[in-house]
Amino acid sequence: MARQHVGVDGSSTAVIALCVGLGLLLCSLADALSRQTLDPSQVLFWGGVLLIVLPIVYRLSLREPSLGEGLALVATLVLSLYVVKVVRDPFLFTFPDEPIHAFNANQIVDHHHLFNANPILPVTAYFPGLGGATSALMTLTGMSSFGAGTVLIGAARLAFALALFLLFARISGSTRLAGLGVVLYAGNSNFLYFGAQYAYESLALPLLVVVLAAIAEREAAPASRLRSWAVPILLGIMAIVVTHHLTSYALVVVLVALAVVHRFRSDPKPNPWPFALFAGVAALGWLLIVASSTIGYVSPVLRGALSAILHTASGETAPRTLFHASAGSIVQETPTLARLVSFASVGLLGLGFLAGVGQVWRRGRKQPMALFFSIAAVGFFGALLLRFAPAAWETGNRAGEFLFIGLAFVAAYGAVLLLRSGPWLRLRRAALVSGIGIVVVGGAIAGWSWDTQLAPPLRIAADGRAIESEPLALARWVQRNAPGGRFAAADADARLILAPGGALAETGASLDIKGILSEPTLSTWEEPILRQHGVRYIVADRRQLATDVVRGYFFSVPTSSAEPLLPLAAIHKFDRIPLGRIYDSGRIVVYDLKDHP
Amino acid sequence: MKGHRDLELAAAGSIVCALIAVVIPWEPVRIVAALPLALFLPGYGIIAAAFGSHRLALPYLLMLSLGTSLAVLALGALLLNYLPGGIRTESWALLLTVVIVLTCYAASVRRPQPARQQGARHRPYPRRLDVVCGLVAIVAAIAALILASTPLPAGGAVGYTALWMLPHRFGAQDAVEVGIASAEHSPQAYTLEVQVQGRKPNRTIQLSLGPGDERVFELPVSPGRPAGRTAVVATLYQRGAAKPYRWVRTWLAAGGSAG
Repeated sequence: MARQHVGVDGSSTAVIALCVGLGLLLCSLADALSRQTLDPSQVLFWGGVLLIVLPIVYRLSLREPSLGEGLALVATLVLSLYVVKVVRDPFLFTFPDEPIHAFNANQIVDHHHLFNANPILPVTAYFPGLGGATSALMTLTGMSSFGAGTVLIGAARLAFALALFLLFARISGSTRLAGLGVVLYAGNSNFLYFGAQYAYESLALPLLVVVLAAIAEREAAPASRLRSWAVPILLGIMAIVVTHHLTSYALVVVLVALAVVHRFRSDPKPNPWPFALFAGVAALGWLLIVASSTIGYVSPVLRGALSAILHTASGETAPRTLFHASAGSIVQETPTLARLVSFASVGLLGLGFLAGVGQVWRRGRKQPMALFFSIAAVGFFGALLLRFAPAAWETGNRAGEFLFIGLAFVAAYGAVLLLRSGPWLRLRRAALVSGIGIVVVGGAIAGWSWDTQLAPPLRIAADGRAIESEPLALARWVQRNAPGGRFAAADADARLILAPGGALAETGASLDIKGILSEPTLSTWEEPILRQHGVRYIVADRRQLATDVVRGYFFSVPTSSAEPLLPLAAIHKFDRIPLGRIYDSGRIVVYDLKDHP
Repeated sequence: MKGHRDLELAAAGSIVCALIAVVIPWEPVRIVAALPLALFLPGYGIIAAAFGSHRLALPYLLMLSLGTSLAVLALGALLLNYLPGGIRTESWALLLTVVIVLTCYAASVRRPQPARQQGARHRPYPRRLDVVCGLVAIVAAIAALILASTPLPAGGAVGYTALWMLPHRFGAQDAVEVGIASAEHSPQAYTLEVQVQGRKPNRTIQLSLGPGDERVFELPVSPGRPAGRTAVVATLYQRGAAKPYRWVRTWLAAGGSAG
């Protein structure tokens, strides 16, 4: 067998790998310092992120990579940024939706069937794609839902990177543009953390991009291969429909739009209308037959968003202030420099859009998908405005994740424009690499609160032993002593009681639990209503952070001010009933409604 | 499938991986076997069958194999849900193996016999510097993961001690289980007092716990116990302190159960 040195490309790939490895180490080091409550500067963390991103952008800016190299670069980028999320949360799922979905997966494995009720987010039980897929890994490997879920989302993100790269490469005809497009997508505010959490959208969105990539390939394939491409497309559509409601509806919208564009352009390429029809029928059928509760779940959110937009636009409601913690909040505000980086990232994306949209029109307008991406890019800036409406920002945030695919594509055209041969090429390249670095970091800053970018302490060492945070210790106790019990608890406690606790938990507005737990007195109707709904245990938690589904899982770390606690009466009111007081860890006390004189 | 080495490997590999996943008890071995079985081979078989004689370029094959495998997992659970036995290790292993073997067989039927490959293949050989960079990168990434999963001291985090009490769970009447778990930063000395129906301490226990330690006591409460429901209160003191640190309470019915 002949030996052949890899050459320059091989060396640059090795150097990129080295930078990525060191970048991960820096991020992990920053997280370690944060877990030690040493309050490190986040410079170390963002330096690590840039060490991962910039060499890849630089390599892509040099020249057109081969398909294989481009694929390797974007796969490295996306997986490395996923590892940044994993090293922040190496012990347990602590992102808001993760324990809810982990509970679903555990229930499937325990009961051997789907559609087990979920007390916190009931609609998730009717979209069992994620839980079902996780159950495969859990049962076959023996891993916990945490391990299996982490691997599954990693695989989904890898599929996402490969599919987005191949999709952009097919539409644009350029692997460099495709690579830059994927890197720009990493500047989406949900990419680093929220979109990487173990949740149904994190599996469905990659499947959507795989379907789009397969449709784009099918359009370019000879007639004899059309049926072959239909197989992964149909499987992907079905999987999306059973995995996530909004992604399946977004898929229907995309496919219908593409079919309409095809129709009016009299395009000789195969019209995807059969897939649009199939997706529409499948999504509607699933909604009506299996997941009808989705209507009750999604419609109030959309109605609230619409109402918030109207109220904000008419001046009835003050616009939401970006990066601003609410009055009396203990949440640390985002520093000015970080805000500037975040605003700069939006500005740079706007420039990229302006520079790229003309190019898309000139070169890609014959491609229906390119036109659709341009419209989506405009839609992204529209969705940004929703962030100013108090009840609509989350809708805008979620929509942005989909629309950003279009923006990344259009802005990549703008990025490539900057790399045309001519004077000042090095300077332009440096500007592009720096600009994309700002886009990625700024996007991540906009997408997750500044004070939780780094890992808070969850499991720490004391005297050579490992100890876990107070709410997590409660969840472990529940797992051992009250499996399957029904609890009323604050939002963060309730999530941990679901997973890893393995019990049922009601929270929030359900049964007015938020009011019952926080008020200093108990109304006469409150205890009976809990009993009527089968609640056996009440978790009284003095930590105000217990209602915070981002920060409520960790050790209390008092800063200069005192730890914000509810008044003692909020706990003692249950002693006066009186009820069995079966667990007391200081801030958290558990009462047993069946245990009384 | 004869002559199609990739399909033979995929089909045989799926059977071996499924057997390992079902039979072998060691998690690391099962992970190595189950990941390709679940995340790659089902999609590979389906794509090979769908495209028949047309061989996709590697990047497309990778993307479609991974994406289609994920779709199979999401849909497979739905299928297993309505089959006898439901969602279990064996049913997943069987389903995935059947999908892979059948699709590989279908692909072999649709594919023409491969021509025998002639001549030596040229494989790129990395330079020494590349190998060193690659190894350092791998070591750094592994170090990042190890660092992330290592509990570290955190002086600023507030420690705590948990006290709990439940009626004895294993049938012993007139007894309670009292547990004390320390998550303090340093070893602590405690005094535990158990009172029955407000009388003088029925039992007093001195103990010391290090961080991460837990002690569980089975405490009989019958001597001197009045008839009917009996309040049992356990109070934990930090050694030398007069103020209760933690307290719990339960009511024992005549049969020994709470409530």
